[in-house]
Amino acid sequence: MSDPSTRKALRTGWILLAISLPLGVTLEALHGFKVRGYLESEVRREMWRLAHAHGTLLGILLLVFAALAERHVAERSRAAVSRDLRVGAILLPLGFFAGGVLEQGGDPSLGIALVPLGALFLLLALVRAARALA
Amino acid sequence: MLAVRALLLSAALFVVAPLAAWLALAFGPDPVALQAAQPLRELERDYEGSASCEACHPAQHASWARTFHATMTQLPRGAAVLGKFDGQPVAFYGRSATPFERDGEFWMRLPDARGEREARVALCVGSNRYQQYFELAGAALGDTYVRLPLLWHVGEQRWMHLNGVFLEPDNPDWSVHASSWNDNCVFCHNTAPVPRLALSSEAVPSKSFDTTVAELGIACEACHGPGERHVARMASPVERYRAHLDDAPSSDIVHPAKVGQMESLAVCGQCHSQRLPEPLERITEFLEQGASFRPGSALAGHVRPITRDTPPIDAHNGRIFSDRFWRDGSARLSAYEYLGVTQSPCMQSSAFTCGSCHVMHSGDVHGNIEPDKRGDAACTQCHEDIARDPRAHTHHDPARSGSRCLECHMPRMVYGILDIHRSHRIEVPDPKRDIEAGRPNACTSCHLDRGAAWAAESMRAWWGERFAAPSSRPDGAPLELADSIASLHSGDAVLRAVYAKQLGRADAALGARQKAFAVSNLIVALGDGYPSIRGIARRSLRALDAELGLGLAAELEGFDVFSSVDERRTRLLALLKRAQQALRSRSDAARPETLLDANLALDLERVTQLLNLQSDHVISIGE
Repeated sequence: MSDPSTRKALRTGWILLAISLPLGVTLEALHGFKVRGYLESEVRREMWRLAHAHGTLLGILLLVFAALAERHVAERSRAAVSRDLRVGAILLPLGFFAGGVLEQGGDPSLGIALVPLGALFLLLALVRAARALA
Repeated sequence: MLAVRALLLSAALFVVAPLAAWLALAFGPDPVALQAAQPLRELERDYEGSASCEACHPAQHASWARTFHATMTQLPRGAAVLGKFDGQPVAFYGRSATPFERDGEFWMRLPDARGEREARVALCVGSNRYQQYFELAGAALGDTYVRLPLLWHVGEQRWMHLNGVFLEPDNPDWSVHASSWNDNCVFCHNTAPVPRLALSSEAVPSKSFDTTVAELGIACEACHGPGERHVARMASPVERYRAHLDDAPSSDIVHPAKVGQMESLAVCGQCHSQRLPEPLERITEFLEQGASFRPGSALAGHVRPITRDTPPIDAHNGRIFSDRFWRDGSARLSAYEYLGVTQSPCMQSSAFTCGSCHVMHSGDVHGNIEPDKRGDAACTQCHEDIARDPRAHTHHDPARSGSRCLECHMPRMVYGILDIHRSHRIEVPDPKRDIEAGRPNACTSCHLDRGAAWAAESMRAWWGERFAAPSSRPDGAPLELADSIASLHSGDAVLRAVYAKQLGRADAALGARQKAFAVSNLIVALGDGYPSIRGIARRSLRALDAELGLGLAAELEGFDVFSSVDERRTRLLALLKRAQQALRSRSDAARPETLLDANLALDLERVTQLLNLQSDHVISIGE
């Protein structure tokens, strides 16, 4: 794996997994010990579950990208796809987590705004990768 | 060295999420505090609020949340407000009020001594049959919520004046029911209320409140008791799994089905029983600190249910309590269900409790009855022998209402919230006992064209000599008349209300062509001196009109129970004339004891004689 962009994707993927998997254990513990600050806010529960799920799945996606990119993604596009994937994979779970941190009333906090931004980067990465394949 | 760095980096990454979650929970907004910050709520005592229960009991929380108990008292937000605040004026007794919305808040423009004032709705009470509204009184009275004069009737989808829904004669005084919530409704319509009454020591004493509740409405802890210790203990997964494996009742929370009979009855009886503090001198303590009863106890030692023999506490009204009961001690107002059950042989001779028929967590929210205990099944769960051959017991067609257990043993004879409800004193009908006690009788509540003597004779033929004929009625009406008609015209207010309802029932033991007398006599009841009775009679007439196809819908729709005596009389006579014409082609010859002659014309002279037998004692029993 000589391409720096795939190495960055690989590193980011592992870091995302290293953060998101313990988040899952944390949520389980919050349930197990019936922590009211978590259980009594439907929005917080929903947001943090989504943060855990997206962080884990996008971490795996980055690892898959790192494994396949040098063989299947054209070199000229690889760096851009890697960058967009990494930014999207970080922003999306971060937005969900932040949305649940400062939950007010029935709405997530403004941190949720990172989610559509992250989704945009992921879509961009998808389009770039598709074009590079073609 | 590299391995150590990698290990440290991994460890650092692993703690990022738990650390972030801890920081968010420790320093972010606390949902528990947000709940407690709602008006009136206080969670600092040993109560936790229903949201705490949801974490472990989501199904029970959801099944409770759909009940009318949950929405008994609400803040006026969005869908909680059922009334139509559309800016259209509504008139009662010659004055009008206008419910309207402004900036997302709900208001009423009301007449007052200086002309007009605006009142902001601060609290909604009720969500099933009708919804009442309360405003927050001036600062001098503390958090005193005062009842506004209009309520929204859910079934009829219209505004009504309070004077027309309580059982009392017409009263044009708009403010007669402007009572405070803090020392009345608060006790039974909320969870763990503390009125915090404060009496000023000024020359002219005044009272103010700083009321709090654990939760608005009747929530989990109203029936299961304060949950703080239970919630704290069950935060441990070890404790939870130990509890799952152990069927013994928990010591820190109450399960109404796992306590003794009286304790179980008391869970419902703490509200479904009008009561006084025990001893009465504790009234000030209750008004300051709230009632002392907690689920898991019996009522005794905390409160004493009111009965017909309870000495009056109002020097100006010696019948304040006795008026609420029929002469045999059976309740005739709603919210005495606990008393009725404790008077019943079913309870006295078995482990029978409210939970034998009712349930809070399944079935239809109307009545909160176990789905498999609707109708006869409530009784046949114990009386299996009767279920095997119902005709041998009932002497009626098993398919008809005469064979329905509840019709005979829990007849409708209880007034409450503008309707007539079933008695909860489960008993055997006895025409002599019932008629002489001036109360409705199950037989003549269905056989509406028959008298008490006929009912007693039928009972005697089936069940033996213990069923004697009544000797007289307390109101003095002739016994040979149909009991329903004598009661409708000569009875006291509750009896009149009961038969105004019964005469409109679709499942009476009468064919459609035998109901002419019910229509004509109910039209007379539209002129009753009590607006609530006029309202019930109007509802019954609408049901009969739909059943018999009389074409009176427009006239009945246009009949305003709040209109003046003169207007009512004019409309009533016109309606009577129209009805008699319509009935001629749709009716068989009527029985003379129903006050109709051979031409189906009402004998107005005899009606007047019966009306003159009404007692001049004004029954005024609020709810």
